[in-house]
Amino acid sequence: MNLKSALAASVSVLAVLGSTVSTFAATDLAALYDAAKAEGQLTVIALPHDWCGYGAVIDAFKAKYPGITVNELNPDAGSGDEIEAIKANKGNTGPQAPDVIDVGLSFGPSSKADGLIQAYKVSTWDSIPDSAKDADGFWYGDYYGVMSFLVNKDLVANSPTSWADLKKPEYANQFALAGDPRAANQAISAVHAAGLSTGAKPGADAGTAGLNFLAELNKAGNFVPVIGKAAPLAQGTTPIVAAWDYNALAWKDGFAGNPKAEVVVPSDAVVAGVYIQAISAYAPHPNAAKLWMEYLYSDEGQIGWLAGYCHPIRFNDLAAKNAIPADLLAKLPDPALYAKAVFPTLDEQAAAKDAITKNWDSVVGANVQ
Amino acid sequence: MKRSKTWAWVVFILGALYFIVPLLATVQFSLSIRRGTLSLDAYTNVIQSPQFQQTFSYSLIVGAAAIVVGLFIVVPAAYFVRLRAPQLRPVIEFVTLLPLIIPPIILVFGYIRMYNSSSILPLTNSALGTDILLTLAYVALALPYMYRAVDTGLRTIDVQTLTEAANILGANTVTILLRVIFPNIIVAVLSGAFLTLAIVIGEFTIASLLNRPAFGVYMQNVGANRAYEPAALAVISFVITWGAMGMIQLLARFAPKTAIRTD
Amino acid sequence: MSSNSGTSTPSATPGSPGVVSVRRGFLSGHGWGEVIGVAPFLIFAVLFLVVPTLYLAYGAFVGRDGQFTLQNIIDLGTPQIINSFWISIRVSAASAILGALIGLILALAIIRGRLPSGIRSAVMTFSGVASNFAGIPLAFAFLSTLGRLGLVTVILKTVFAFDIYRAGFNLLSFWGLTLTYCYFQIPLMVLIIAPAIDGLRKEWTEAAETLGATRFQFWRYVGLPILWPNLLGTLSLLFANAFGAIATAYALTGSSLNIVPILLYAQIRGDVLQNPGLGAALALGMILITAVANVIYLVIRTRAERWLK
Repeated sequence: MNLKSALAASVSVLAVLGSTVSTFAATDLAALYDAAKAEGQLTVIALPHDWCGYGAVIDAFKAKYPGITVNELNPDAGSGDEIEAIKANKGNTGPQAPDVIDVGLSFGPSSKADGLIQAYKVSTWDSIPDSAKDADGFWYGDYYGVMSFLVNKDLVANSPTSWADLKKPEYANQFALAGDPRAANQAISAVHAAGLSTGAKPGADAGTAGLNFLAELNKAGNFVPVIGKAAPLAQGTTPIVAAWDYNALAWKDGFAGNPKAEVVVPSDAVVAGVYIQAISAYAPHPNAAKLWMEYLYSDEGQIGWLAGYCHPIRFNDLAAKNAIPADLLAKLPDPALYAKAVFPTLDEQAAAKDAITKNWDSVVGANVQ
Repeated sequence: MKRSKTWAWVVFILGALYFIVPLLATVQFSLSIRRGTLSLDAYTNVIQSPQFQQTFSYSLIVGAAAIVVGLFIVVPAAYFVRLRAPQLRPVIEFVTLLPLIIPPIILVFGYIRMYNSSSILPLTNSALGTDILLTLAYVALALPYMYRAVDTGLRTIDVQTLTEAANILGANTVTILLRVIFPNIIVAVLSGAFLTLAIVIGEFTIASLLNRPAFGVYMQNVGANRAYEPAALAVISFVITWGAMGMIQLLARFAPKTAIRTD
Repeated sequence: MSSNSGTSTPSATPGSPGVVSVRRGFLSGHGWGEVIGVAPFLIFAVLFLVVPTLYLAYGAFVGRDGQFTLQNIIDLGTPQIINSFWISIRVSAASAILGALIGLILALAIIRGRLPSGIRSAVMTFSGVASNFAGIPLAFAFLSTLGRLGLVTVILKTVFAFDIYRAGFNLLSFWGLTLTYCYFQIPLMVLIIAPAIDGLRKEWTEAAETLGATRFQFWRYVGLPILWPNLLGTLSLLFANAFGAIATAYALTGSSLNIVPILLYAQIRGDVLQNPGLGAALALGMILITAVANVIYLVIRTRAERWLK
């Protein structure tokens, strides 16, 4: 046959192959499970059981796919630790090498550039919003939450309803951040949110405005420099803490009424933070890692996160399909608040983080004498 | 000259206040898990898990191993340096201070790089190998305290004379170390052992990154992000570690002791 | 009363080749016995301490792109970092000196104070635990005691109508942090100085008394000079111990206190992109300062030991 018909034939062959590949991907789950079972282990890192209900998610994964041991490394790790763990374990096939990581948004492009992660597109890839994933499939958003206040109602009669409220004298020695604003994503996002509440644009402007806002709070005596967590909040050192809503709700559940607590999303600035998943390029158990990803991005996995109060990245898709149980929806804060949430872009986040981490000490620094 | 004991009592009581009151505050908080009443719920939540016993015994065993290895490494070295090579002392002392400065997380990543599956000594490949690595990591962490304690003990006894006397009586070096020097520094050895054990029981970062079931890892899993459980854990850990040290102290009564008359 | 100082007296001790040895060769007077004795320590130190430190040192000179650079070292010169080193040194020195002083007095009380015999072993074992009681539990314990809503603060306010915060006290300050650090510094001192205090023979006290010395004179001329090298050594350990401590400071003064380990952790562990090279440079700086402190201690100790020979 001549060149033209040969080309036409090969194109049609390719088309047929293409369609079988996509159906291949769906049924591949069984083959993936077998391959993962052969590997026998999955190593995760930095997944506290109380964060987004990871404890329940891991248990459900183990129940659904028996035969795979899950090694949980250092639940206390920060995103920087996870990256360092991949680097340190480069030649290691033992259970100390993480297979998958769950890190802050800004670590996605940098780990891809450093060659630390490998590409994989889950079967529900298309329902992940484009702004929250890498086009080549190296990293992909997993869940998000918005910055909120957790208030100890036993010690605070009137909860603050906005960032501006925090300046009132009735909140003296009460407000704290949930981390070190020079290093922790949660704390930096809180400062960023404070800046946005003053009307500044996301990015370096809001970063600087946030620093000034906190400097004012500090001077007024309302800011407590202790890192706010469940224990100091209950004990009384930090009765108002700015934290991601999923953390605030989980801590509140943990209190079981003692102390009484309330989660408030500030009315003047709603800032969302996205975390991302990725598979390590040196993962000793790549198939188990892929199976884990398939599970996390399936409806079941996404709803597992929702049960931990995190908004899964496919939330809109699930809502459209009416796949979310009504009782779960009822436990979450008002959806209207999330509608006006601001999702800072990678660049805005980087600029805000730069401004905040570099200038925290000089602008706000409670300057220990 | 009669010596009054009042000053000693005053000092002791003031010291006891400083150390016990914060613990009392922690206990009081841990008992407040239920509104309005005192209850042991935080404690039962923590102890109920079967992993409590498993991880605690694991950490005890690793701690004992770390003490033995630590002594084996430190005592001969401190002895010989004191006896023969005092010019090495500054170098060794500086080296022993390093674990205090280098963050444990850097240490553990360094060890993983050096001893992973593709290195000459693939310790991370097996559970036993990783246990050995963990023990040696703890020896490194406890080294400053162990060395300083043993060195103080050796400084107090007259190593030179004891060695010469033992030599004249025909002892070889091993015998000298085991039967002459060691019994005379029991107090120092105990101090070092206590400090090592305390470190091992509470350590979390290295055990977690090496994926070993240590007590510190268990405590972190149970207590993180909860309000009252961490306080209960701190108290439990404190009491149990104190008990373990009390046991070591008891066992040491059976060890041969120095005949020096002390006041 | 001779204190050992090494090879000052030639004698037929094992390993030495006779009376006077001329310095020659690598071993020069040291036998293989010594080498084998020190070997486990040296091998261990090299494999488990020196090599990771070298990794660290190497990391300090590597930029983000993987090339050799001095930028990290230069970056150490920013006011924020210099300030943090200065605060670190002050906190470490304050808690080391306080811890050494109070620890010494406490150790003297329980060992020489003729208290009931059970007290000594109870205090020693307690010190073992307390010496490692650091980090979040310690910070929380002090917040629960001396924080604004702490047990002692509230009791003083309600029972004695004395508000310590109004009087100017603040746990979240330099001295509050030092006070908290003492919780593990004092026990460490007690544990390590105990054998040295044991070594103060009863005969010396009796001899001094016979010669008519007061208690003050005994300590001034006999007791303290003998203890002095040990005191210095432990002081050096206490300094390094506080210098490297981060968890307590982090949990207590969090974002208000700028000490080096916190900065270090921010660089290597943070949730947002940082510069591990700078972190390594910070660690290198800490090692250098510890080395300097150690040298100072060695100089003072050598002078003090001179009279002991």
